[in-house]
Amino acid sequence: MKALIFGIDGQDGSYLAELLLARGYQVAGWVPDQIPFSQSNLASIVDRIDLIHGDLSSQESVNNCLEETRPDEIYNLAAPSFPAGSWESTVLVGDIAGLGVARILEAMRQIVPQSHFYQASSSEIFGSPIQSPQNECTPFHPRNPYGIAKLYAHWITVRYREFYGLFTTSGILYNHESPRRGYQFVTRKISKRAVEIKLGLADTLKLGDLDARRDWGYAGDYVEAMWLMMRAPVPDTYVIGTGIPHSVREFCELAFTCLNLDYRDYVVRDPELVRPPEQAQLTADSGKARRELGWQPKVSFDELVRIMVLSDYKAINGAPYQNTE
Amino acid sequence: MKKALVTGITGQDGSYLAELLLSKGYEVHGLIRRASTFNTQRIEHLYRDPHANGETVRFFLHYGDLANTGNLVDLIYSIHPDEVYHLAAQSHVRVSFDLPEYTGDVTGLGTIRILEAIRKSGGETRFYQASSSEMFGAAKPPQNEQTPFEPQSPYAAAKLYSYWSARNYRQGYKLFATNGILFNHESPRRGETFVTRKITRALAAILAGKQKKLYLGNLDAKRDWGYAPDYVVAMWMMLQQEKPDDFVIGTGESHSVREFLDEAFGYVNLDWHAYVEIDQRYYRPNEVDYLLADASRARQALNWEPRIYFKDLVRIMVDADLELAGMSSPGEGRKLLETHHGSWHRWEHQVVSMDGNRAA
Repeated sequence: MKALIFGIDGQDGSYLAELLLARGYQVAGWVPDQIPFSQSNLASIVDRIDLIHGDLSSQESVNNCLEETRPDEIYNLAAPSFPAGSWESTVLVGDIAGLGVARILEAMRQIVPQSHFYQASSSEIFGSPIQSPQNECTPFHPRNPYGIAKLYAHWITVRYREFYGLFTTSGILYNHESPRRGYQFVTRKISKRAVEIKLGLADTLKLGDLDARRDWGYAGDYVEAMWLMMRAPVPDTYVIGTGIPHSVREFCELAFTCLNLDYRDYVVRDPELVRPPEQAQLTADSGKARRELGWQPKVSFDELVRIMVLSDYKAINGAPYQNTE
Repeated sequence: MKKALVTGITGQDGSYLAELLLSKGYEVHGLIRRASTFNTQRIEHLYRDPHANGETVRFFLHYGDLANTGNLVDLIYSIHPDEVYHLAAQSHVRVSFDLPEYTGDVTGLGTIRILEAIRKSGGETRFYQASSSEMFGAAKPPQNEQTPFEPQSPYAAAKLYSYWSARNYRQGYKLFATNGILFNHESPRRGETFVTRKITRALAAILAGKQKKLYLGNLDAKRDWGYAPDYVVAMWMMLQQEKPDDFVIGTGESHSVREFLDEAFGYVNLDWHAYVEIDQRYYRPNEVDYLLADASRARQALNWEPRIYFKDLVRIMVDADLELAGMSSPGEGRKLLETHHGSWHRWEHQVVSMDGNRAA
């Protein structure tokens, strides 16, 4: 089996590549032409994958990529993935995260119509949801340019399944974190800063609303869901999340406790980081994925926090954390 | 004097809106595409040669491209319009299945490019987004501003992209951005590939002895069909409100293509069954079955009411196509229009300006 991953150098792309390699796939990864790709995520597998440089804003480039690789499975994880940052580059976000998907699907329809397609949809398409928890039937209500582009991509993916009978799946994934999460995300910001404080490299951690709650899972579990969707009997849309929201405060408490610290001594509230409150909580109802795919998250919230903190400790300190206190 | 910029000015809605705005004393600027064929038939009667003596020119056309951000920023800087009406789109649903990327770029991203240009130029300009009832797709009728969207085509997905972008810029950047969610609206200036116009043109050709058969797709699709000039009035009203909002615009009546045939052929005493054949190629991959507007918000907040309903709409379109084909018409449509509409909207411009321009 041959898989092509758009956005292989990101958090999800790199975990997915590892999973597919472990299952005997031949893996090709697409990375953008212009921007240097993130080598660190791929360090352990870079010799075993084929890297292809291309441009998602060009139909010709996408066509060439599919001609060259002729994959059995296509995973589209490429997108500028920090939602709040999408206000600064609305057109670019739309061109890549939105229209890029239309280009991949058009290329697939013409070149490899038998292959299976996974679209990385996001809970950001529910945005400010009108009900909680959300499942595959909940109306969408995106609230930033990233969510809007992802919603367009979701609809195009669903309609290609219906119009052309292509095997296209859409996974509406809730927040999923790991030691490979970008530093602009609150979880990684906390885990890294807690370690820096522990090592005397920093004094405080500035955060917005400590009581904001998110449905956080472990990225490794979520790439497993992607793979399962690709071998379902029929292509479909699935909501993927833990179903249990936790507050930023809980994340802090666990992260600092890992290092024998009390978060209350270090966390400072920064009003500029506070986002307007949501009408309803973003929480996944993944009942359909659990029933139909047999998927469930394996890593608990406590373990997730611990994995992230200990990984950051080792990376910054050079040696693993020894709990001697 | 207020200044307005209209994208899609060469289309059905753009040409009516330009007439309305000029009659209200606006200086009107239109964005047109560079094209190898001249595509301005619907607005030729408005345009005055700037070199002609004695004419006041308040109508300007600019070459522009929705795929080019820099060009749009320049235009909005130099014109500095009070109002932008964004009507340009790849607007044909069936065609969007063949050109999904192009449709997404023009109909979806084009809107963000304009919103960005307005934001960068200071954000004072009011913005009207031509949203569409196609965004509702399979949603249960009647549809209003609270109905969840279920777009069935690349066109509808791209329009939904624009709808949310307008709301986003309204909330995130406090722009005066309004969505008019317009249900089908027709006229003698409707593009010839759209089913209503296709029927009235074919009817005229059949009566003239130039055509024997009319090939159509799904006759049972139901639409809320209104008269385009009524709808451009609603667009203008939306931008005169104190606050930007979203409004559904429609007649509140839904009729099938079959009923349109009954009404059109019946008006000239013909039985359509003798002429109409079904061609599967005209079926859309995902047919939207039943669209019916609940426009109560617009009726209350804007005090907007359609003046022309289904039966009268059919009569206007049939009369105009008969006259265009050089035949006499029963004239009921013509009379209605002369009594029901303001002076900005003239019958003779219906007939002279409508031919030649195909749907984008």
